[in-house]
Amino acid sequence: MNPIRMQFMREKLLESAREHQDEDSCEASETFAGLDILDIGCGGGLLCESLARLGANTLGIDASSSNVAIATHHASADPSLNLSSHSPAHKSSRTSPGMLSYAHTSAEDLLAAQGPKQFDVVCAMEVIEHVDNPRLFLNDCAQLVKPGGHLFISTIARTPLAYFLTIFAAEQMLRLVSPGTHTYSKYINPNELIDYFHQYKGPEREVPWITRLVNGIPLRTEAETRGMVYLPWKGEWSLIPRHALGAKWAEGCNYLFWVRRPTE
Amino acid sequence: MPISRCLKSKPFAFSLRHARQTSKRAFSATAYEDSDVVIVGGGPAGLALANALGAARPIAERLKVTLIEAGDLSKIRYWNPLSSAFSNRPTDTGAWSHVDESRTMPIGEMQVWDGLSDARITFSASDISVAGKDAPGEMARLTENLNLQRALLHSLANRPSIELVDKVRVQSIQQDEREHGGRWPLVYLSDGRAIRARLLVGADGFNSPVRSYAGIQSYGWAYDAQAIVATLNHHPRTMLEPPNTIAYQRFLPTGPIAFLPLSPTTSSLVWSTKPHLAKTLLEADPSTLATMVNAAFRLPNISLRYIYERFLDNHTSGVTLTPEDLYSEISFRERSHGVNPHSAYSSMTMRAVLGGVPPSDAGALPPFVTSIQQGTAASFPLRFSHADTYIGEGQGTRTVLVGDAAHTVHPLAGQGLNMGLGDVEALVNCIETAVIHGGDVGSHTALFPYARARYLENHKVMSAVDKLHKLYSSTAEPIVWARSVGVEVLNELDTIKAAIMMTAGSTRNHRQDSQGASRSVAVSGVENLAKGVSALGTMAEGFVDVVGVGVQGILRQLSSSSRR
Repeated sequence: MNPIRMQFMREKLLESAREHQDEDSCEASETFAGLDILDIGCGGGLLCESLARLGANTLGIDASSSNVAIATHHASADPSLNLSSHSPAHKSSRTSPGMLSYAHTSAEDLLAAQGPKQFDVVCAMEVIEHVDNPRLFLNDCAQLVKPGGHLFISTIARTPLAYFLTIFAAEQMLRLVSPGTHTYSKYINPNELIDYFHQYKGPEREVPWITRLVNGIPLRTEAETRGMVYLPWKGEWSLIPRHALGAKWAEGCNYLFWVRRPTE
Repeated sequence: MPISRCLKSKPFAFSLRHARQTSKRAFSATAYEDSDVVIVGGGPAGLALANALGAARPIAERLKVTLIEAGDLSKIRYWNPLSSAFSNRPTDTGAWSHVDESRTMPIGEMQVWDGLSDARITFSASDISVAGKDAPGEMARLTENLNLQRALLHSLANRPSIELVDKVRVQSIQQDEREHGGRWPLVYLSDGRAIRARLLVGADGFNSPVRSYAGIQSYGWAYDAQAIVATLNHHPRTMLEPPNTIAYQRFLPTGPIAFLPLSPTTSSLVWSTKPHLAKTLLEADPSTLATMVNAAFRLPNISLRYIYERFLDNHTSGVTLTPEDLYSEISFRERSHGVNPHSAYSSMTMRAVLGGVPPSDAGALPPFVTSIQQGTAASFPLRFSHADTYIGEGQGTRTVLVGDAAHTVHPLAGQGLNMGLGDVEALVNCIETAVIHGGDVGSHTALFPYARARYLENHKVMSAVDKLHKLYSSTAEPIVWARSVGVEVLNELDTIKAAIMMTAGSTRNHRQDSQGASRSVAVSGVENLAKGVSALGTMAEGFVDVVGVGVQGILRQLSSSSRR
């Protein structure tokens, strides 16, 4: 799933960059270079490593200390990763990979420790469906984003299809995932995330992050959802193209959500 | 709480923004160098891979590539042969600025026929040339492997991200077992260096050390056959004959014999036959080999068998069959078969004719071979083998196989190099995608699409080639009849022949657009080879390359059209 997450993040960051600069000045290969990125629920660090390789200064946090240890150990084998031992050092150059660090903490604690507006990009991939209070979690995530920064979330929609695939098939029938991993009632639909940010203003603003909806769909410059579908015959996950036939239907299970924090 | 204290005492955002750790990790203080992609083997596949990796900008910017070759690449780089001497390693390639065009030969036509029934199929560039394609009248271009390799080397000289290490052997490959080693492959070289590879590519031929390191088994068998290769000298074709741009292949029950033009007066031979016969032929006088080659293209199979037996009997009894004896034996057999003395099938006529009016059927057979270029005759065993997987797992994690290290095939359709270059193209695509998305190019996830794209594809070609070999090894009447009728019917259906080739060709068209110039060059060989001819083996292995012709048109893969 990781390559298509990266694909989606890259697309959105490029799109946003091109809004403000002319096309040619945006080097596609430097999309991530120099950005401060927070990955909440980093697990084994797959996404973090990819981001760090592309030059982002990446912090991965996880509520499980064993995940943090695994991620740290895995990254330590790779000489191209600049794994931090939490010591301040020199400025990063643009094309070499950024600093990578991991910490055992939660979004809430991190916010409390460091204050808001810390990261150009905040990701929470496959996390929110495990969280007890998603509204609080979204609020924490949103506050960590710098003005003009990006929030990426991926999760599972609350649909019968998702129940069938992720709980009945993956947990109970095929045992790909240990039973009890997912809770159907915690699944969140794309329109619920959109509605949340249609209302969410943050502490100091009058206008919500998503200013208006057309038929329930936000402007592409403000927020977007895209379905992810596993294609068993290819053995790969696929990011459903924006205007593909049935693109909305494809968001009925795994999907990605992106929203941008307005500049102040 | 220790964690929050830890957080407070370490200002993450600050350290992230400004921090850059320059101190080296403990292990980099040891004698290991790190390289992202280590390619073992400087044959055509390895060189093409290095080139393509250097040409793709996202890869060149981010990955360090090292190519290790045991042989002396400068010999190839400065290869400057006499214009009359040709190496017997022809290969099929696309147009390329570094390829010495004067040492390439366009192939306009291929003729393939059955050694028992004489059923013949002709593939002609004029059948398949399409509007918009350049160089009509040319379906493939033959050049020596050395010419292709030299071109790849010259192009590599402009690629700073690629490090070429030659005259250095891989002494051993071990897994990095240290705590932070991550079980990456460590390659120990004979010059004392040790390189830790993020991805180790085995382009090291049939006896691949990388494959043994990865513990990948392969499936296959040896054919009861040896291929003889040699560079043949012959007279130039006269004005009244077709030019020397036709490739010929005759399927004998002992194996196919192929004739591939290299220049107006030289051509390459690839003759697969029984091992004991191959051995004896190579031990015999070169003029005997030349005579036997002529006979193998001309004599009916029954007489050929008789001649083989005579030849072998004489050899075992220690009596050398002089070239004159052999010649008179062949002449006798020709007369007894009623071969028209004015036909190209008559070796007597062909030997005598120098100028004058050539026989009307001269185009049906290759030019009469006058001698073998000195030192070019060699042979190697033929085998079918396919690695169980292309990507190492477990013990062999972070390894991948390309070219002959992954598969070897009978040379009759000249698919060895094709498949290798196809592998290279797919692997480079895979690596590029991974790099763009920040992936780890040594990971199974990143490499999986390569195996998916190539394994079945290669297996289809290999199986088809193997079945063709079996089909044509048979002497059973019904099978000979069926294959001959099939070929003759197909030969009459020009539109179908063209359609088969064009359909297959068009599927490869889009690739060139998205890729760097040299990359498409390296890869456009793939497209042509279809038609044509290609080479097997890597230099390091001492494999001599082999070429095959024509039959590919029948196979689905083959055939791109007249592009060059």
